[in-house]
Amino acid sequence: MGFDSSEPEQRRRLQAALTAAQVNTGDLWLYYFGIGGAVGEYEVEAYMQGLLSLPQLQRDLLAMAANELFADADGPRAPYSDEIDAGEVEDEDPPGSEQA
Amino acid sequence: MIKKYPLDELSTALGRIMGVLLTEEKVDHAVHSLARAVRDALPGSIGAGVSILNPHALPVSSGSTDSVVERADALQYQFVQGPCLTAWATQESVLIRDVATDGRWPNWSTAVVDLPIRSVVSTPLISGGEAIGAMKIYADTPDVFEDATTALMELFAAPAATLLSHIQTAEIPERISESLQSALYSRDLINRACGVIMERHTLTEDQALQQLMREARASRSTLSEVSAALLGVAIDRPRGTSDGLR
Repeated sequence: MGFDSSEPEQRRRLQAALTAAQVNTGDLWLYYFGIGGAVGEYEVEAYMQGLLSLPQLQRDLLAMAANELFADADGPRAPYSDEIDAGEVEDEDPPGSEQA
Repeated sequence: MIKKYPLDELSTALGRIMGVLLTEEKVDHAVHSLARAVRDALPGSIGAGVSILNPHALPVSSGSTDSVVERADALQYQFVQGPCLTAWATQESVLIRDVATDGRWPNWSTAVVDLPIRSVVSTPLISGGEAIGAMKIYADTPDVFEDATTALMELFAAPAATLLSHIQTAEIPERISESLQSALYSRDLINRACGVIMERHTLTEDQALQQLMREARASRSTLSEVSAALLGVAIDRPRGTSDGLR
């Protein structure tokens, strides 16, 4: 089974949120682990690099971890899978972008 | 689906990830042994000390052979001047032939005038191009040390710095344990809330977690907040329980 069609977009925007908030994958993983994340740090690292596919629930938990971690920051949010239009592929700036 | 790990094992695993396996106790032990070895190896010295400094020139860990060294060290940090701080900041060894006549650190020299300290060599501990601290030897008479002593100290400092460089700050293991405890607490809270939802709505664990996530998003709360509300408990880890886990 290959990547879910929304997965690359979701990963790209999670990465963008992490970069903007200057949080490393290790810190994200610990928070994600703290809200019930089931996948190890190594796998999360691999996912962030596009080397590994993660189930939708785990991807959404990672997004939630990022959003809770940066709740006070002004940077971009990490999207959940149901917020990504599966038909829209790699459009850099989707309409109604959250960049305010 | 989620394995339960003992806290110790997780702490160790995280410590390994972050490259800080040494506990504060071991660090202190290491700098003390090093200080003793340096004093014994260098003829004429009556005391030695090793300090690891953070980027703000504050000691995070230090070891010394006697209270004179400790006192002289404390005075350096108090006045923010002295041979060790200079050695650390310039990454060059410092040789003082006579503290009484050397004018480079006037406040410090005046303050240590009553201590049996006349000759000093201080050498930076450099690892990966970065000074992580300094080690020094003292003698109670002038002109005890010479350039050869400095060279010997530098010989010592190289492997010592490599060994000690694994310790960025002595507090990291404790901080890991602190954040780990709060991660484990919230994880447990959320898992319990999932259990309640599974029971109430005959859902699978994943479905229960998805429902909690939907509720958190809809109410703009965190997953922990939603879980705590569902369980009717406080969101914060109760204080006072942490001591037992250290």
